[in-house]
Amino acid sequence: MEEQLAELVAKVAELEAAGGGAAVTNTFFAETFYYLTIPLMIIIHAGFLAYEMGASRLKNVLSSGVKNILAFAFMIPTFYFFGWWVYFGFPTGIPGAPGPNGISGVEYANAIAWGWGDSAQYMGPNIADQISGVFFGAFALFAATTASIMSGAVIERIQTVGFIILAVTLGSFAWVVAAAWGWHADGWLVQNWGVHDFGAAGLVHAVAGFFALGVLVNLGPRIGKFNADGTANHIPGHNMPLTVVGLMLIIVGFFGFLMACVVPPGEGWSWFADKPATIYGTPITLSALAFNILMAVAGGIIGSWLFTRDPFWMMSGALAGIISTASGLDIYFPALAFIIAFSAGIILKPCADFLENRGIDDAVGAVTVHGTIGLYGVVMLGIWGAGYPSLQGAAGEAPTISLIGQIVGAVVFFLLGFVPGYVVSLILKMLGMLRIPEGAEIAGMDLVKVPAAGYPEWGGDAPVTPAHPAE
Amino acid sequence: MFPYPEASWDVVDGAMFMGWGTSLPGMTTVIAMVICVAVLVIGQRSEAAKAKKFDK
Repeated sequence: MEEQLAELVAKVAELEAAGGGAAVTNTFFAETFYYLTIPLMIIIHAGFLAYEMGASRLKNVLSSGVKNILAFAFMIPTFYFFGWWVYFGFPTGIPGAPGPNGISGVEYANAIAWGWGDSAQYMGPNIADQISGVFFGAFALFAATTASIMSGAVIERIQTVGFIILAVTLGSFAWVVAAAWGWHADGWLVQNWGVHDFGAAGLVHAVAGFFALGVLVNLGPRIGKFNADGTANHIPGHNMPLTVVGLMLIIVGFFGFLMACVVPPGEGWSWFADKPATIYGTPITLSALAFNILMAVAGGIIGSWLFTRDPFWMMSGALAGIISTASGLDIYFPALAFIIAFSAGIILKPCADFLENRGIDDAVGAVTVHGTIGLYGVVMLGIWGAGYPSLQGAAGEAPTISLIGQIVGAVVFFLLGFVPGYVVSLILKMLGMLRIPEGAEIAGMDLVKVPAAGYPEWGGDAPVTPAHPAE
Repeated sequence: MFPYPEASWDVVDGAMFMGWGTSLPGMTTVIAMVICVAVLVIGQRSEAAKAKKFDK
């Protein structure tokens, strides 16, 4: 009997040890899942770097790269200093009251997101908190993505420090406010209006795109972009293949970006014990992402090929495909995602031409691809996804997605992008910190900003030609 | 378009995409197929027309 009892005790101990091991394995898997989104999102930056440098003329190629690299470098510490705090501090709006889920408000943010005092324990290595840094890293990379989106639009004429100030305003403040309001279970846009933007079409892409538009209004076009009669010229970049490959790298990185929008299960910080969730706490599967992202990429490429035949616009169409469906990648049916992405690919170039015909020189189409298509995606979900619960909860208690709610979200995201972009760039303009002097712009920004040459043995730039020869 | 009678995730235990249980998935699949074929037809026509201009 005693022997049997001893065997039983040993067996129980063995099972407990095995259970503990499984728990540790799940913990480490969940942390690794999220951690791996960080290097994947850095591929987005490799892509933006290649894309921007390829779209620049020979005389500006390195300065465009320097600008992009510096934006990344400044985004990380500023997001650490205050961006992370803003995200947790203001989901319910100003003055930062706590929300119903108990994971927001200034008091909560003060306790977990400052790099000093007691809160610093969650902002550095801590054996009892192994996830905060991983979440921080992924969000910092979201922030850096917004800066990269704006970066391409303003190439070949912006001052470096002025650009960094704009990048920090966008990446560590403007989009973070949008995320707090519309990408947090306590966000007032979510709680009051049922706004759903799973893959951040509005709160990352549209905010960044329209922030860029606000800057472009004050920055003005590159010398030679527009003729005296207002017609536009096409200023070719020095390396279209580099630009196209860069765009493809952005697509690769977006799998990491969207992976980071998924919260793994089974942890203290998870929404569910047994299934992954969106940032809103609604269920999602990686299968949904695989189906819908791939169909959206394809739809965007096919739609833009139909009328442009241009590899730059085709790969931009791939991005537009993802962005136009990003809000509902968790719940779209793949064929529907394909059709929405296809329509985004079709309207992409006409939308870019619309801006260009109004004197806006967006060198890479960032306002259109990210801004216009971002809002298009937010509104599309309101049309197709109306009635879906935006949060967990019983029927009638949880807010649901609606067209009106998505339109309200789209308007808020537009304003959170355009207004800070316009105001801060206007201040920089008044201080003489926005645009490089005319002589330096004509000579080439690499001569002014970079003690190296991109292609020292090459000749001059490709000729500037009319943007719309048939007109 | 929520495919369950109650607007709550608590009742979802299967397919959760838009239009599940209706004709929407089938219709969108057919439309997507038609788009692919139509784009190829249009693409072939316009490319052939452009290529003809280079015939001597």
